[in-house]
Amino acid sequence: MQSNRLGWILLAPTLVILFFFGVLPFIYVVYVSFHQWNPFAANPEMIFNGADNFRRIVFDAEFLNSVGVTVAFVFFAVLSELIVGYFLAQAFMKDFPGKAFFRTIHTLPLIMAPIIVGSVWKLMTTPSIGIIPHYLDEWFGITMNIGTSAPAAFATIVIMDVWHWTPLVTLTLIAALVSLPADPFEQAQIDGANSRQIFWHITLPMIMPAVVATVFIRLMDALRTVDEVWMLTGGGPGSATRFVGVHIFKEVFPKTNYGYGSTISVIVLYLTIVACWLLYVTMLAPRNTKED
Amino acid sequence: MGDTHETPLASASLEEDDTLESAGEKHGFLPIETNWFDRLFISVVIWVALSLFWFRFVEPLGLSIWISNAIAVVLAIFIVRKG
Repeated sequence: MQSNRLGWILLAPTLVILFFFGVLPFIYVVYVSFHQWNPFAANPEMIFNGADNFRRIVFDAEFLNSVGVTVAFVFFAVLSELIVGYFLAQAFMKDFPGKAFFRTIHTLPLIMAPIIVGSVWKLMTTPSIGIIPHYLDEWFGITMNIGTSAPAAFATIVIMDVWHWTPLVTLTLIAALVSLPADPFEQAQIDGANSRQIFWHITLPMIMPAVVATVFIRLMDALRTVDEVWMLTGGGPGSATRFVGVHIFKEVFPKTNYGYGSTISVIVLYLTIVACWLLYVTMLAPRNTKED
Repeated sequence: MGDTHETPLASASLEEDDTLESAGEKHGFLPIETNWFDRLFISVVIWVALSLFWFRFVEPLGLSIWISNAIAVVLAIFIVRKG
């Protein structure tokens, strides 16, 4: 009883902060999503319009397109980060000259603000001055222009995201790999298992909680990517890189359409929660049941 | 590789299992073990999805959204009680 009360007292500051900075803004966004509200219009009042914003969103071709583009981006970026991150983590588990130096260097992108990452990549990919189009043209005869080519713009954003966030995946997977017990691996080697069998039947199942946690973090981050994309392509060419975050930004700031922008935010939050829940149910719940 | 016999992640997962068991988990017609809050969550997810589907495909045919809400409530009661 005593420890219960102490627990609540220790948790109270966090819960209060969480309520004011997490729960309350969420409730307010849901409230605004049922209103038509343009605070800079002639009539700045909030006008309740029931579910009209939600009725509008299911027919909004730009929004539906942005959801498709975002899902494609999340799939390619998160999958690439997982694969590259795993191989880097395995590499950093081995000893080689300069390992500490490379491990430090490879985490440097993590400390860069996304807006800086966007501007650096914009400089590197601008056709007349960028180093990437220059060498692509000189070495392979490929003309790269992310201002006019939709696939090039999309691929560049995926590569930029992989470059920026793979170190996070690597660090998480290193932590998971380091904590693995040696016994199952030794037993598997004695039984004659090859490296592929060891990976699929021992390593992957044992690091699965860490993999799922990493995918959750990256999934949530990737679904709300705005600043890097805004800096690099501004959502273009056309709507090729107009992710939902960029779409919300364009709806809320240039158009000052706060009600509809809130509706899009609520739907994106809904999609994020459903995606994470499905991932949890399909990847971790069967494992927990089996362990019972 | 460390020489510990149980990973922190594995033990965290086991601790979570103990907590869930005490929270009244049960196995109904849903393919996973759930507590009442999980079933309520699933009901809300279905309610939102059904409403959006209704707005897009059924309401233009003249059927009110209140029919969708009624279906969602019946479904929610069924899921929370039998899921």
